[in-house]
Amino acid sequence: MTTTAWVIDKVKSRIGVDGPEVTAPVEAGHLKRFAEAIGDPNPRWTKEAPPTFLVALAAASLHLNDAEEFGHSWLNGGNRFEYFEPVLIGDRVTAKGRVVDVYDKAGSSGSLLFIVFETDYVNQRGERVARLRGTMIRR
Amino acid sequence: MMNVKVGQEIPELVKHPTTRQLVQYAGAQGDFYEIHYDQAYAKSVGLPGVILHGLLKAAFLGQLVTDWLGDRGTLKTFEVSYRGIDQPDHPYRCRGRVTKVDGEEVELEVWGEDEGGKRTTVGMATVRLGG
Repeated sequence: MTTTAWVIDKVKSRIGVDGPEVTAPVEAGHLKRFAEAIGDPNPRWTKEAPPTFLVALAAASLHLNDAEEFGHSWLNGGNRFEYFEPVLIGDRVTAKGRVVDVYDKAGSSGSLLFIVFETDYVNQRGERVARLRGTMIRR
Repeated sequence: MMNVKVGQEIPELVKHPTTRQLVQYAGAQGDFYEIHYDQAYAKSVGLPGVILHGLLKAAFLGQLVTDWLGDRGTLKTFEVSYRGIDQPDHPYRCRGRVTKVDGEEVELEVWGEDEGGKRTTVGMATVRLGG
């Protein structure tokens, strides 16, 4: 386990740097599997994505291998979704994510590394459909 | 316009997550972090056993809000903060309350409780009623 400052600095150097763009189609089968997995039988989800579906379409967090040198496990701190347009079957959505903040804190069972990221989701017409802000915690 | 008042509780939603559902969710989301289905791995990182995905709890709370809202409006923002872990085979109770009404804009406080009534997930949603 490494909790040295250089790991934190390495992760901090990613602040503001865009992650790779990911484009994925919104498929009926995927939407159905997702709705079944969350146990939400609302017939609306046979056409439209439920509130948290976008995280399944493209990764909610950026793959920060560097951060895995800190502590031993990940925790999800929180998520905030902002919705602009509906996401429908047949849409092609592109996710563009970036790290917006990195900080460390002393916790009750050792130190914690917080990584705040933001992902914008844009559809095939170039309309921003949603923005997700999340905090991933390494401990 | 529907009758929405500050302080009003919205109908609760009780979920009964199982390890099977966690595996199903891992597949549907594409999140294969082992703490959600591998007991030995979960224990090796200090957890009591496999735990629910935060985003699965978020999805439960999302359902709470969209079930209540129906086709009477649009969800504008939805946020959750994870305060504690939850394990499968324990009921998860989702609740919410109207905290603000400003014309067509309605703000709700939402939360998920474990069996002991502890709020392990807290959050907020804003909706716009009408078109």
